[in-house]
Amino acid sequence: MIRFVGLRKEYGPTVAVAGLDFTIEQGRVFGFIGPNGAGKTTTIRMMMGLLAPTAGSVLLGGHDIGREPEAAKAITGYLPDHPFLYDKLTGGEFLRFVGGLYGLGGGELERRSAELLAGFGLAERAAELTETYSHGMKQRLALAAALVHRPRILVLDEPLVGIDPQGVVALRGRLAELSAHGVTIFLSTHSLNVAEALCDRIGILDRGRLVALGSLAELRTRAAAQVDPAGGDGSLESVFLAITSPASAPADGS
Amino acid sequence: MTGAPSLLWLLSPRLLAARGALRRGRTKPLLLAAMAGAFWVGCFLFFERTLAYFQTIAALGPVLTERLLVLLFASSFAVLALSNLVTALSTFYGAPEVSVLLAAPLGARRVHQVRFIETLAASSWMVLLFGLPAFVAYGIVHGAGPVFYLATVATLLPFLVIPAALGVLAATGIVLVFSAQRAREVLLVVSVTLAAGAYLAIRLLRPESLASPSGLAGFAAFLGDVGAPSPWLPTTWAAEVLIPLLGVRAGEPLFHLGLLASTAAVLYLGSAAVVERVFLRAWSRAQEGRTGDGRERRLSRWLPILTAPLPRPAGLLLAKDLTVFLRDAGQWSQLVVLLALVVIYVYNFAVLPIDDGSPLGAAMREFAALLNLGLSAFVTTAVAARFVYPAPSLEGRTWWVLRTAPIPLGAIWWSKFAIAFVPLAVLGETLVAATNRFLGVAPGLTAVFMVTLLLVIAAVVSLGIAFGAAHPRFDAKNPAQIATSFGAVLYMILCLGLIAVVVALEAWPVSRLFWHRMARGPVAAGESALIATAFGAVALVTALAFALGRRRGLRHLAALQA
Repeated sequence: MIRFVGLRKEYGPTVAVAGLDFTIEQGRVFGFIGPNGAGKTTTIRMMMGLLAPTAGSVLLGGHDIGREPEAAKAITGYLPDHPFLYDKLTGGEFLRFVGGLYGLGGGELERRSAELLAGFGLAERAAELTETYSHGMKQRLALAAALVHRPRILVLDEPLVGIDPQGVVALRGRLAELSAHGVTIFLSTHSLNVAEALCDRIGILDRGRLVALGSLAELRTRAAAQVDPAGGDGSLESVFLAITSPASAPADGS
Repeated sequence: MTGAPSLLWLLSPRLLAARGALRRGRTKPLLLAAMAGAFWVGCFLFFERTLAYFQTIAALGPVLTERLLVLLFASSFAVLALSNLVTALSTFYGAPEVSVLLAAPLGARRVHQVRFIETLAASSWMVLLFGLPAFVAYGIVHGAGPVFYLATVATLLPFLVIPAALGVLAATGIVLVFSAQRAREVLLVVSVTLAAGAYLAIRLLRPESLASPSGLAGFAAFLGDVGAPSPWLPTTWAAEVLIPLLGVRAGEPLFHLGLLASTAAVLYLGSAAVVERVFLRAWSRAQEGRTGDGRERRLSRWLPILTAPLPRPAGLLLAKDLTVFLRDAGQWSQLVVLLALVVIYVYNFAVLPIDDGSPLGAAMREFAALLNLGLSAFVTTAVAARFVYPAPSLEGRTWWVLRTAPIPLGAIWWSKFAIAFVPLAVLGETLVAATNRFLGVAPGLTAVFMVTLLLVIAAVVSLGIAFGAAHPRFDAKNPAQIATSFGAVLYMILCLGLIAVVVALEAWPVSRLFWHRMARGPVAAGESALIATAFGAVALVTALAFALGRRRGLRHLAALQA
């Protein structure tokens, strides 16, 4: 459902993403983790057509985001790391505007908006301007907007930042439900607990390179074979620390 | 542990930011200094000439000199009062850094001191800067000594503190009653309307008549008619400090300076006491957001219906852009200024004394019509710099919403273009049609100019989107800041160049057609071809500018990153 083909991004001499090649099957929840500055957001921006890659491509549902951007975007929902919304639109207006951009209209759009606003606990404040919303509410509204057109692929960049514990639990439930309905989820997160609990497969990005890819069990096996400075307990956290520690970096430093 | 930070330490972020801005932009400060210098000279000459004239009126001269000074202080006070009120709402109850000060171990008194100084400086510097040439003119015309200049500084200090303290007190009261957001909006609209009204009034008073002695005499008569100043006002006290030092008449400058200083001190301490007492309550009240009211629900209901017949992306974007525009008082209030500008523009042509029925008058009329084409294009470009150029920056942080939707970038560009082009075309065409009617220009020539202007506006809008996307300012707090940025200046210069080329290309065929009509002779075939070529060149130049703007606009929009 999602395929990375030699995806690379350079900023002058700096290599932000150094050639990603992997595939995520339909209905899977893929966890994309890595230290700050590893290139996760850059990768996601290239996936969504917000940034042109230096080389390579991303295929969403078989559509190349560079060559068939409209077809690729039509089946994808996206939540950015900082979801800036239109301050002077109400929550309901924002949701209907985004739905319209994806071709929804009339009664269907009204029904879908009402359903999502209620589902994300925003119905009571749907008539208020988004400038009055808290960060968590904006995050929930942006996630509702990402789902308004019933996407087949969902790309989430740090969806848990600023969300309260109840929200995190609700979001986990919703993502599991979407995955069960065949939606492919690409989840970039710093929350290793959530990645551990939700993701079928995990990719670890470090300094622009995909340094590990597999299920949690596969990553555990790999980490055990490497130096484990954290004295690993088998959790994703210890696996992550083992794989991204300076000791496990390639000898050439690239 | 060290003691509480000093006042200078607390003001240092603002000072460092100002220093950084000066270091970063070298061209802009120079340009601003040149403009300020030109204004200074103009202002000085006006006061110097007026005061010198008053000295020639034996009996009334001293009275007029005094009245003008009172008028100067009174008008400055009115501007300062409003400006301090608007600024205080922001510096005390709107600025995000206030929460940093509140979280720090600072007393409410220190918070008041810091914010008061910022309010005073932000509101007063412009009045102070542009008022100085008037005081210098007073000193020079009356041959005043250094005591006058020292007294001017001593007078201005308390004179500036009084409206600042009143502004802080009024802002605190307003915030306790309304939310800061709504109060700021109301005040913004009121101040913009007052400024536009003052602008209109000044123009309709025909200040050019002051250039003639009879005009100055009329101004003197106006000042003479103004009633005697009230002894209870700080504006009178300020004038009373300076008048005796100019030697106009005897007085008690020290007594009035004392009045001024003690009033300023009492009001400052009063504002400090009130702010110390209610600051946290007022700040908390100011943080309360605005909820959707009836007006918002109506907008939400009607706009989608009105835009439904349009193609989908254009209709959706138009409804969204109009909603955002109409809910942002900082944006729509600019329309009031625009309206004043249009009225003055049309009025200028209505009073242009060129039609005396002679052949020279007719030639002048055609020349004025050509100039009018250039000026209308210039006015439209200035409006585009204010509304079209900032559009990509304003979309900036929310750009991801459109870019991740399944809509081609080209469709988004066309929507943005159409949303800007239609109102600008209506504005430009109305200007040309109305003013050419006042000038008595032939309908055929007016039609040619209207078509030309349409082509120019299309190019100007296309370039506006391109330049706006190439020089985005996501950090700007309001569109006016974006419209005065370096990229906007470049954009204006390029557009002015384009307008100059278009006017130059049309000047020759327009003059040839005019002289043939005057001579009642037919246009030779060769000359007709040349005239057609000149008009064709106009179409080509504007089409090239449009195409270049679109190409670069699409490229920069594709790379736009918040």
